[in-house]
Amino acid sequence: MKLRLCLCLAAISVVLSAAGPLRPARRPRYGGTLRVEIGAIIHSLDPAVAAANPEEAGAKGELDALLYDRRSENGDFVGTAGSGPFRLSAWEAGKSAVFAANEDYREGRPFVDSIEIQMGRSAHDRVLDLELNKADFAQIPAELARQAADRGVRVSASRPNELLALVFLTGRGTTENVRVREAIARSINRAAIVNFILQKEGEPAGGLLPQWSSGTAFLFSTEADARGAKEIWAQVSPSPKLVLGYDSADTLEQSVAERIVVDAKEAGISLVSRAISASEKANAHGGSEGPTPHSEAIHADARLVRLRMPSPLPSVSLAAFIDRLGPLAGINGSPLPKSASPEDVYDSERSIINGGSVVPLVWLPQVYGLSARVRDWKQPAAGEGWPLADVWLDSTTDVH
Amino acid sequence: MRRLPRLFFLRAIIVLTFLTFAGWPSRAQSAFQVPPEWNKALDTLAEKIAATARPARTFSLDVRNISSLNAGDVTGLRQTLVEDLTGLGFSMTQKLPGEAQLQLTLSESAEDYVWVAEIRHGEAREVVIVSAVRDLVEKAGARKASLTLQRKLVWEQDERILDFALVPDGNAAGASILVVLQPDKIAFYDHRAEAWHLNREIAIPHARPVQRNVGGRIDPQAGTATLVDGVCAGDFQRPETVTCKSVPSAPGADLAMMQGSIVESDAALASTCSGSPLMLSTGSGDWTVRDFIQAYEDKNQREPIAQPIQFPGPILALWPAEDGKTARVVSRNLQTGAYEASIVSVSCGD
Repeated sequence: MKLRLCLCLAAISVVLSAAGPLRPARRPRYGGTLRVEIGAIIHSLDPAVAAANPEEAGAKGELDALLYDRRSENGDFVGTAGSGPFRLSAWEAGKSAVFAANEDYREGRPFVDSIEIQMGRSAHDRVLDLELNKADFAQIPAELARQAADRGVRVSASRPNELLALVFLTGRGTTENVRVREAIARSINRAAIVNFILQKEGEPAGGLLPQWSSGTAFLFSTEADARGAKEIWAQVSPSPKLVLGYDSADTLEQSVAERIVVDAKEAGISLVSRAISASEKANAHGGSEGPTPHSEAIHADARLVRLRMPSPLPSVSLAAFIDRLGPLAGINGSPLPKSASPEDVYDSERSIINGGSVVPLVWLPQVYGLSARVRDWKQPAAGEGWPLADVWLDSTTDVH
Repeated sequence: MRRLPRLFFLRAIIVLTFLTFAGWPSRAQSAFQVPPEWNKALDTLAEKIAATARPARTFSLDVRNISSLNAGDVTGLRQTLVEDLTGLGFSMTQKLPGEAQLQLTLSESAEDYVWVAEIRHGEAREVVIVSAVRDLVEKAGARKASLTLQRKLVWEQDERILDFALVPDGNAAGASILVVLQPDKIAFYDHRAEAWHLNREIAIPHARPVQRNVGGRIDPQAGTATLVDGVCAGDFQRPETVTCKSVPSAPGADLAMMQGSIVESDAALASTCSGSPLMLSTGSGDWTVRDFIQAYEDKNQREPIAQPIQFPGPILALWPAEDGKTARVVSRNLQTGAYEASIVSVSCGD
């Protein structure tokens, strides 16, 4: 086919003057202090010092990402503190911190002058402070998102990227029988968890990856089957009494565990919930929040686990989940995806789900509350830190 | 038992045949043509279905779309799959008890389209999956247009690119110089042995603090490269004449770019396809998603006049080139993290 190149030159200057490239909708301004509240209590920002619990580890990772410019291939922060967009200007361990803008940051100085961080704020206090305009930025539990929005808090929710799953712990005689695991899995009413506990801020999970990431999550059933659960449980003899553990500091896990117990009871399954204390978890982790906890140290047959996607890419997240769940659920030998193709990822995912040791429950989004003066906040993708260097504060909005 | 009326089977065959094919739109009915890349994926899917479904030779087909594909795409894909399966010796029928059922779900992942075929026969269920490139989003309407956008990658690097330009080499007739503007320097490259080689780079001093909303633009004809708080000037065809200096940032400068914000940008070109000016426009996504460039006849037009040209990451700058017939595009590749400098040109078929 014959092609000819367009060569006309017409009216460029007129159109250009009317539509200049890269026009900002609103021009950002420098200055101001961003007030941040977090629930975790961070004892040290040194990446070499292990966090005491997953909450601290998660919050510490977010803050270190503001202080350090680079990470190593395995995700550890490298270089010097203050090489990132902010540097530490005040620190009171476990209570508060102040980060100042790094004037020499290679990607340019952040818009805000500083960030004030208050630690150990409960979820309800964070929502209240956002409501009263005493905080500019705080993470909100997904289950409180609707309530916060109803109270006038500006809420920003990500795509669901955190999995709450039930894991049958390895080495327990009570759950060695696949029928026991299947009966419990079938009895769980995920829709009720999403609708009532999460106030519809989440999605039922049937697979280990969300639909937006893998494109194949719809192949995994999320339906409850109380009758099937009852029939399968009737075949288990003698029927064991089971314990489902949850993080004592996690109110969502507690609510979900209690709901699972109710569902199991309706199917005739003997299941009770039990809080796992911080010290018990610390023992399981060998004294720190390491990646490979020892399930023997936890006094339960199953426990709830939160798994946050490290990447939007399904093969990367699945490999990370297998690595994390391996020692807990005894799925160390589960095949990793042979390639990043959807079929190979699905095969690997299905193999784990069919094994019955891991029961996906719900997908949770990351929810953030923002004050009215925060501008240009954008949700970080799975695996990315809070992009607070890009945020600026609108001076036309009052601060109380 | 009552005997079936005479000609019952003949009538039934006629009715079934009608019902079977009435639902399939013929190729003539659909303006959609499946792109070659998708055709290949459908061929693979048909082969996988064939290998899994046998010994069944007949099944019902149900297609559902849970992706961003439009109805025209879905019709075309279904039709092509039916043709592929027919070519492999299978025939489609209405859903009947005892017959195998094929459920095709058009889904999508974070990366690509994902097409899932579930083959059910009784209690048995088999799943086969293929992926198809999503960058080829093409609209049936756009396909009819005679105008085509083309992208040529000129340069890529890990450091951020603000703008770039190709200028004649004042020291070597017929040769070109690639000028790359970065936040902290301007670099000049010579083209030798089919590759660009660094000739000279000049640091750009900045006022402190370093600006975050840095933007910049090269004007080769004027011999300037302007940043929010710096400027380089000289004869770009002779890099040795170029010098850079810091300048106070102008609050009203039109170079400000909000990092990570949703910014739509346009560039006006001319087109011989219709004789009227042509507007190139980027998508409206942020810095976390892939982007594209569409061509419109004017800024207010809703329907693009060419199929979009896809980029593997956000477009950070879009400027009309000095020749008026091409555009300079700076984008970031989300997979590699590299900044890419490309020339987008327009051609139209007879």
